[in-house]
Amino acid sequence: MGRRRKKRQEQGGQQKTTPRTAQPHDFRRVDEYIWELPQDFRDDMRVPARLFGDEELFGAAFRDRTVAQLANAATLPGIVGYAMAMPDFHQGYGFPIGGVAATRADSGVISPGGVGYDINCGVRLLGTHLEREEIAPYLHDLNAVLYRACPSGVGGKGRERVSERELEELVVDGAKWALKRGLARQEDVAHTEEQGCLAGADPGQVSARAKERGRPQVGSLGAGNHFLEIDAVDEVYDPEVADVFGLREGQVVVQIHCGSRGFGHQVCDDYVKGLQSAVRKYNIQLPDRELVCAPINSPEGRAYYGAMACAVNYAFVNRQVLAMGVREAFEQVLAGKVKNFDLFQVYDVCHNIAKFEEHEVGDQRMRLCVHRKGATRAFGPGYPGLPADYRDVGQPVLVPGSMGTASYVLVGAQKAMELTFGSTCHGAGRTMSRSKARKQVWGADLKKELERQGIVVHAGSDKGLAEESPLAYKDVSRVVEVVHGLGIARQVVRLQPLAVIKG
Amino acid sequence: MGKRFEEIEHTADVAIRVRGRDLAELFVNAAYGLACQLSDPDALDLTIEQEIELEAYDAETLLVSWLGELLYLSERDECVLADFDVLEIASTRLRAVARGGPVQGHRRHVKAVTFSEMEIVRVGGGYETTVVFDV
Repeated sequence: MGRRRKKRQEQGGQQKTTPRTAQPHDFRRVDEYIWELPQDFRDDMRVPARLFGDEELFGAAFRDRTVAQLANAATLPGIVGYAMAMPDFHQGYGFPIGGVAATRADSGVISPGGVGYDINCGVRLLGTHLEREEIAPYLHDLNAVLYRACPSGVGGKGRERVSERELEELVVDGAKWALKRGLARQEDVAHTEEQGCLAGADPGQVSARAKERGRPQVGSLGAGNHFLEIDAVDEVYDPEVADVFGLREGQVVVQIHCGSRGFGHQVCDDYVKGLQSAVRKYNIQLPDRELVCAPINSPEGRAYYGAMACAVNYAFVNRQVLAMGVREAFEQVLAGKVKNFDLFQVYDVCHNIAKFEEHEVGDQRMRLCVHRKGATRAFGPGYPGLPADYRDVGQPVLVPGSMGTASYVLVGAQKAMELTFGSTCHGAGRTMSRSKARKQVWGADLKKELERQGIVVHAGSDKGLAEESPLAYKDVSRVVEVVHGLGIARQVVRLQPLAVIKG
Repeated sequence: MGKRFEEIEHTADVAIRVRGRDLAELFVNAAYGLACQLSDPDALDLTIEQEIELEAYDAETLLVSWLGELLYLSERDECVLADFDVLEIASTRLRAVARGGPVQGHRRHVKAVTFSEMEIVRVGGGYETTVVFDV
């Protein structure tokens, strides 16, 4: 095998050396919240890299491999502007989490590593017509019924069973499929990124194994950091925009955080393995094999996009089916007890995706493939693709906090189009490994502490609970302050948790 | 054999460092490292046996495929595979037997086996690599 490696290096024409890792002094502070690593820091970087954060967040980037991974992302062929990390950044695999990288659609590459395994992991926000006081007496019942209505756990089976043929329709049509099956309302579809259907999905590019894994899981939460949460709006920063989104102080809302389950994981897995040979075929040099990619305009690149779009649509349907489960649970517990138990959809956003969008690069308008890995689209007012009723204010951006802490609803802003290819943060961002969190926190203690704060908790395992302890995360408020300060999204309301279901 | 793998710090996911005197031992130890993420291997009743045959582009892809296959089987059959015999191995081909037992849910959800930081290198009379699991 040693010989084989040597041969590979000779073919590549250069010896493999470990790239330098940047230190804080290698960065230039461009603005209060913008830190830039120049392109000439490493020979293989094609663009400069930018980290967004205040001084403390910037300092945290050097405690793990975030900075090295960000510089690695800057080496992707066809990348334009900057390789960027939103302020909730942390070490991932291949790309850092919080990573945004845009490549030229005509000559750049698409990278499954720049999207991740949980393709279209995202958040859906449902609004109610209830005040927090109205729901308080029923919170325990509601949480128990929700736990049953929205299946969770590893390999957990979903609410819907679909045949292989139905699955193929589902992944092509996304939310429209759910609409046809009576599992969605027209307004749900309108209030979903891409109207719940990313164009270009090609089930012919999806492996039999991905389909096999996907079929039983439609309408399931999964495990890990995925959750379902009942919250109350406890602070309104922008009453006008809040009103447009149907949000007001004291109102009860529901967040659903999950993705494309085994289907998406398998699609990513298949292509990260399958494209390893494409990297060699197209003579692409990569500092980390997880950054594996192929030219967008190659058979391999097109195949990945077609399969990824299927997983994106699967995730939209997954959250849609869970939303219907939430509606059922509310009806079951609250019918006859409150005036209006219905839930309406505020919005649904993707956190892990690659999409074709047009952006200004320098003074040129370009069609780009924007990779967002742990980042949210944040289109400002007037952009096509936004629902008609939100077009004047901008796109809702849903930023869940760590368990038991606040979450935020933001609105996309014009500055995001100028600075970040229309992107912003997606959450709090981890600071501590899961093993360390487990050593420092007992799941059972954390549960008691959350309950002492009046938060009802239903979790698959105490260990899983401990790993998701707020201690292991950055302060989401700090992250949100940075994106608000940068102007790449503005604060609209804050949500405080009342009940949590963790996968 | 000493410690079969060690967990190394990773902010969001789980990373292990694995060594083996030869490729076969490296693959077995990595698989054991995965099994320990999913359950307590000592508590398993080894009633399931599965033969696995794989071909891949190179040794790293073979290792990712091997671990991915074990992960897939453990999810599909609600089991954990923790005892292994490598029958045949080359850098692009593997034939092995994996034994394990049924479990009631996994200890943690491992979404996937990544290529991140993976590079099988020769170290003093053996092989070593890092494996990062997406959790």
